[in-house]
Amino acid sequence: MIDELRRALSEERVLDTPLARHLYAKDAGVYRGDASVVVLPLTTGEVVDVVKIAARHQVPLVARGAGTGLAAGAVPLEGGIVLSTTRMNQIGDVDPINRTAWVGPGVINLDLSRAVSHLGLHFAPDPSSQAACTIGGNVANNSGGPHCLSEGSTVNHVLALEMVLADGSVVTVGSPAPDPIGLDVRGVVVGSEGTLAIVTAALVKLTTNPPDVRTLLASFSRVADAAATVSGIIAAGVVPAALEMMDQKITQACENFIHAGLPTDAAAILLAEVVGETAAVDAEADLIKSIAVEQQARSVMLAADEAERALLWRARKSAFGAVAQIAPNYYLHDTVVPRTRLVDTLERIYEVGDRYGLTMMNVFHAGDGNLHPLMIFDAGEPGMIDRVTAASDELVKACVEAGGALSGEHGIGREKRDLMPLLFSPIDLDAQARIKEAFDPDGLFNPGKILPRGARCFDTGGGLPDGAWV
Amino acid sequence: MSTIRAALARVANSLTTPGPGMPAADLLVAPRTAEELAAVLEQATISGLKVLIWGGGTHQGLGYPLAPDLIVSVANLNRIVAWEPEDLTLVAEPGVAVAELETLLASKGQTALLPEVPGHGTLGGTLAAGLSGYRRGRYGPTRDRILEVTLVTGDGRIVKAGGRVVKNVTGYDLPRLVVGSLGSLGVIVSACLKLWPTPEAVATVIVDDSDRAALVYRPLAVLASPTKTQIYLGGTPAEVDDQARHLGGERVDELVWPPPLPGPLHWSLRIPPAQGAEAIGRLPSACAYLHQVTVGEIAVATETIEGMAAVRSWAESVGGRLVLTAGTVDGFDRWGTPPQGLDLQRRLIAGFDPARVLNPGRLPGRI
Repeated sequence: MIDELRRALSEERVLDTPLARHLYAKDAGVYRGDASVVVLPLTTGEVVDVVKIAARHQVPLVARGAGTGLAAGAVPLEGGIVLSTTRMNQIGDVDPINRTAWVGPGVINLDLSRAVSHLGLHFAPDPSSQAACTIGGNVANNSGGPHCLSEGSTVNHVLALEMVLADGSVVTVGSPAPDPIGLDVRGVVVGSEGTLAIVTAALVKLTTNPPDVRTLLASFSRVADAAATVSGIIAAGVVPAALEMMDQKITQACENFIHAGLPTDAAAILLAEVVGETAAVDAEADLIKSIAVEQQARSVMLAADEAERALLWRARKSAFGAVAQIAPNYYLHDTVVPRTRLVDTLERIYEVGDRYGLTMMNVFHAGDGNLHPLMIFDAGEPGMIDRVTAASDELVKACVEAGGALSGEHGIGREKRDLMPLLFSPIDLDAQARIKEAFDPDGLFNPGKILPRGARCFDTGGGLPDGAWV
Repeated sequence: MSTIRAALARVANSLTTPGPGMPAADLLVAPRTAEELAAVLEQATISGLKVLIWGGGTHQGLGYPLAPDLIVSVANLNRIVAWEPEDLTLVAEPGVAVAELETLLASKGQTALLPEVPGHGTLGGTLAAGLSGYRRGRYGPTRDRILEVTLVTGDGRIVKAGGRVVKNVTGYDLPRLVVGSLGSLGVIVSACLKLWPTPEAVATVIVDDSDRAALVYRPLAVLASPTKTQIYLGGTPAEVDDQARHLGGERVDELVWPPPLPGPLHWSLRIPPAQGAEAIGRLPSACAYLHQVTVGEIAVATETIEGMAAVRSWAESVGGRLVLTAGTVDGFDRWGTPPQGLDLQRRLIAGFDPARVLNPGRLPGRI
């Protein structure tokens, strides 16, 4: 099979050295898989060849962008071929009036925004990993980021996809025009974590840089006050461009790392940003400030210029990296709850941490209830991994109980696959398995991700009692 | 048929009088619960019935026509299930009237951004037909706001997908796939939508030239008709004043939406927004239109199909479509060229509607 791959691509873009196979068997999370070979196609045609070769040999095929994922979405847990998209990194002609461009899946998120900034445009989804993560990865995970509160996540910024299906056929779904006819296949492929098709190009929608922006940093003595401020802002009818919360421990970590002047003695800080015309942002910033003050904010500071603003965001986006400095090991969670349940969910998270003797830090997209509890620990300590696993389980269940979902933006991957039954009945999971089956009947695209084993189990219609095993 | 009728009567309520505009059919039911509907569709699958799903009947002209055996009305599935104003989410059943829903939401300064001139339109019908309001100019189409959906599939399974949170990557985005699916994956029995607050101040500014809209950052909507352009503003009072002043023109301090276009043929011309001016130039001279300038969608009304084949051919050449949305004609395909990946679409539908009972044959490709 490796020879066939070499003939289809080239010698140097088919890697089967022990080092390559080792490096590509992991993403940024905790799972390690097993890659038999790594391929780096340049064109859609080469991707088609790889898909057909994989099908002929009935070998799993796992697509990978930058491998920044945390849920094992790009980890070849069942072996097979890892298809790295990093060489498919062309940005096509930008249509500056329609504000669209066809881009390869290997284009780095931040590179895309930089490439169009001279046109006064940017790509709105801005995950913290944006200096490394790829558009293909963003499509697979329906990535968000702090600015997706008002802009939406990747699916709202991808108009069309060119993709290779399991049978090797190439289809383009979606359209540069509004309301494409037929089923929204594009909409279901976004967020499908590489299990339905291999995306070879995306028509991205670019966003006009707003005329003006105001960024505020508010600090609080109590987490509840910060959360009440978030609720107050929503209740006042303001939907900021971004609304991020950091607790004291994570603020300290970021401050040690970036030195942005963050208040390290506050129990929680809120980073809020509003965009629009000057009259609008001034009014909204004033409103946010007064709500924060009403909720006993200790200080509210407005970034004076672009440099200060950029520094605040660097500090926020460095949270994960900052923590790496502190502890030998960490587990970054991704959960989401209704905004109204933020405070009590946070309390439960701290309580779980206390009970298991784990340090918990929290940074999150407060505006949309997407929490990122961060557990830090030393895996070398005896029994620690078990404690982390048990605590993680409780944490996720607490969020589900609060009316949340399993993942706000990191995806299900392998990490949360077996927790899907917390949210979905066997009939619900079977329906999702039918979607998978329609795309990939042989189950070769990224097997073992999203849906637990046995999800596809019903052949008949209703009338079966819930939980019946057929 | 009498055994089928008896079986259906056992499981579901029957309407004695069909609703306005309903076509003739042997059987007509209006289930009161998802379970009743499931029993009806299970029976429909067993008996191989062709089912027409009926909300408010406002967009039955979408897609190829169907001569149904059974009409399923969602009129009795009309409850607001949960409204969380502090979380900006709403869960409602398909039969809820869009107009009533928006009035309710407005009482707390919120909106689901559904079509502003809905007539008898229902929530379920709006989602299944993939309809969006004019305010999509700022907020995006309806499909960007569906969070969770519960469906009854063609063979009577009750399936839920998504979640009642505004940010979610938990399994396949079936809710999004359902929007615009014309019921082919199932009858929506519950949907959770993301809401937005209504702006503090609004205004409609009437100008002569639609290019003036470029002066405003993110208007709610820009609607151009043959004689004038209406720019819809929303935001803080200072912002709206500023923008209105910049634009000049006549100003009204509310959102005044245009009346429906005359008939008898209604079209939706969908093109990349930058091609809007060219699109208008290609329309037949005697037609009424409403152009959503920043979106790239033009609603057109004509008396005949004259000139429309050329419009369709051009629209498709720039990656768009011309869809006939209301009115009956012979020999003019309602959708135009089908999208790629029809086999895949068929397989997807087969997983939800194995006997193909729900609105069969209406989608592009006649699937």
